[in-house]
Amino acid sequence: MDIQLKRGLLDVCVLAAIKDEDSYGYKIIKDLKPYVELSESTLYTILKRLETANMLTVRTAEHGGRLRKYYHITNVGLHRIDVFKNEWSEIVSIYRFVTKEDEPRE
Amino acid sequence: MNKQEFLTQLRQELSGLSREDIEERLTFYREMIDDRTEEGLSEEEAVAAVGCPKEIARQILADAPKKADSKRRLKTGEIVLLVLGAPLWLALGIAAVAVILSLYVSLWSIVISLWAVFGSLIACAFAGALAGLGFALGGYTFSGVAMIAAGIVCAGLSIFTYYGCKAATKGLVMLTKRCFVKKEGVAQ
Repeated sequence: MDIQLKRGLLDVCVLAAIKDEDSYGYKIIKDLKPYVELSESTLYTILKRLETANMLTVRTAEHGGRLRKYYHITNVGLHRIDVFKNEWSEIVSIYRFVTKEDEPRE
Repeated sequence: MNKQEFLTQLRQELSGLSREDIEERLTFYREMIDDRTEEGLSEEEAVAAVGCPKEIARQILADAPKKADSKRRLKTGEIVLLVLGAPLWLALGIAAVAVILSLYVSLWSIVISLWAVFGSLIACAFAGALAGLGFALGGYTFSGVAMIAAGIVCAGLSIFTYYGCKAATKGLVMLTKRCFVKKEGVAQ
């Protein structure tokens, strides 16, 4: 898949994974597994990027005698998901246009 | 490979990155392994699921913005140099300011001495005229005329000097103004 397109999709995927409740690295990977295979280093890069873009915040909390980082979506992140939803209809219409040629002509 | 071996090897492979970056990555992978063992995997299985440290490091280094990293390190080096060099550059800075200031003061002193020349020429003109008149009235006609002539010459020179002094003063005032305005502009 096109790297730019994929990067944008993965960003939104990770945001969606923490949308309803704060989540942590391994849980994000597990939750996304049925949809997209995400390596740890890829996830790290995405989380960093989203944090820099103020789309999520990170907090460290104790869990079972060790520390775990939890990721919390911000309003900016929620907005990004909405933007994606709107963009998607545009992408679908482009897809229809691109594949129009495949249909039998009248 | 157990967790400790994995983390040690990853740390070695990432040695090109900044210290805080390495620590953050290791914390991230440590958490990933711990979460897997918590779910029931053995430590070895968990490490294997996360991947090979060499391969992970290769990916990280390929993605890492190297420029930003080297920039940060340079900055630290610069700060150290700045602090260590303080006795040197502070002294040099003060010396430079002193040199500029003394040049400026000497420019003004030249102007002031030009005005002094102007003043003394005028004084000579008056003195020459008065003394010449005195001599002439006292009977020393030749000396009197010479004195008056000298006074007139001084008066003529003083007129030239006046314009020279005026131009020099104007120039220096303008220079001062320009420097001042420039500094103000920089400050804004």
